[in-house]
Amino acid sequence: MKRAIERLGGFVLAGLDWLGGVAILAVTALRVGPRRPFGWGDIVKQMAEQGFGSLPITTFISLFIGMILTWQFAWALKDFGAVMTLGYAASLALVRELIPTVIAITVGAKMAAGMAAELGSMKVTEQIDAVAALGANPIKKLVWPRVFAATFATPLLVVWGNVVALGGGMVIGEKWGVPAGYFYETYIDMLVPLDYIATLSKGFIFGFIVGIIGCYQGFNAKTGTEAVGVATTETVVATSICVIVADFYLTLVFF
Amino acid sequence: MSAPDPIIRFDRVCKSFGDHVVYEDMNLSVFAGETLAIIGGSGQGKSVCLKMLIGLLRPESGDITYRGESVLALDAEGLRQLRKRIAYVFQGGGLFDSMSVFDNLAFALREHTRLTDAEIRTRALRCMDMVGLSADMLDGMPSMLSGGERKRVAMARAIVMEPEPEVILYDEPTTGLDPKNIARIGRMIVKLQRELSVTSVVVTHDMPTAHRVSNRIAMLYDKKFPFVDTADKMWDSSVDTVSDFIHGTLRKAADGPTQ
Repeated sequence: MKRAIERLGGFVLAGLDWLGGVAILAVTALRVGPRRPFGWGDIVKQMAEQGFGSLPITTFISLFIGMILTWQFAWALKDFGAVMTLGYAASLALVRELIPTVIAITVGAKMAAGMAAELGSMKVTEQIDAVAALGANPIKKLVWPRVFAATFATPLLVVWGNVVALGGGMVIGEKWGVPAGYFYETYIDMLVPLDYIATLSKGFIFGFIVGIIGCYQGFNAKTGTEAVGVATTETVVATSICVIVADFYLTLVFF
Repeated sequence: MSAPDPIIRFDRVCKSFGDHVVYEDMNLSVFAGETLAIIGGSGQGKSVCLKMLIGLLRPESGDITYRGESVLALDAEGLRQLRKRIAYVFQGGGLFDSMSVFDNLAFALREHTRLTDAEIRTRALRCMDMVGLSADMLDGMPSMLSGGERKRVAMARAIVMEPEPEVILYDEPTTGLDPKNIARIGRMIVKLQRELSVTSVVVTHDMPTAHRVSNRIAMLYDKKFPFVDTADKMWDSSVDTVSDFIHGTLRKAADGPTQ
């Protein structure tokens, strides 16, 4: 019993230590990042890698989420003879919740894992120390462009994901006898400005979480190539948990 | 006549990682223009010494001074300026994999100067020439280079700053190289020291290189540098701990320093 409590205590302390480390990195990145030179070259490179590089998977996932959810709703609504309300039913779930969250957990975790692996490898091979030794600030040079790019690329991907999911829903709607135009109109009709604000805000915040966790995990990778693998795996888990928790609180704030 | 003031001074420095104590009241001085080799067993913390000097690691207590100014008291801008004057050649080269050789060399110049790319290229070519590398390597990627070439590119990157650095720190510059490249790197260290009049600190456990390139050798033992002397005297030392380490027997390593 005592050992179990000790283990639990150790787990809690390690979690708090991790959260503190992430918070300090976030504050430092926000403090040193916006200073001149802004580092547009590095930011554009990261935006291209993280944003454009994630378009295919975002498209694929969003299309299938849109189709699956619409199918499920259609299946449920047909018993009530309310299949024509399919657009109303699908829009809120997709725009408010599923698209931003699933994109952050899948595409975002991919981004974060990539950052953790790249920065972890750089740490192991002393490239991060080399950045500092050459007189540059590693947080400004390495963390800031990645966090900035993730923060702004994720909402753009969420917007694109919403468009694709709507398209997927329209395809399935046709299958259940709901004309695509009608599905579109009811889908959009259900949404209010707050829903657009919520889906974009979630994109921004999830993107920031993804960026900062990926960079923190990379910077804190232990030495050895195996450690990079561990850091990458932990990043996916940490990102997923933090996104889900943040999603809960954001939902409480918005709705 | 009094001895000259050291350019670098470690004064009663203590450093540990968790329970592992690396330095305990460690003192060490490096004089302008000399090449000091730091020797000692693997994992004892030789590189830690170099990293503390440029502020990559911070000791728990004691002081480290460069030209009489405490490194530990420097703010971020102070450290940035210090790192323009003290260059660091990392063990594996520390080259940025995602950048070309040219971009690696240009990194510090872009960070600290307003030179144009053409001016940077001219300077990079001169540094490549100084370390015996051909100009056509400049546009290649670090992954295309051999181990010896990577180390020499790292040396070129270390001296590329304008003005040239006052001190070059070499972290295990010959590790993982074949005898021919070890000799070549040794010659480069001596050449750069002579041509640029820099002060050099070479961390190594390659004894022939330490003897060949350095004026003095400091041996890390029991968390301090109890043995610091000229390279020849250290090479011929009658102190068991020193001669055992230098000549490779290490038979009394666990017994502590003996006279």
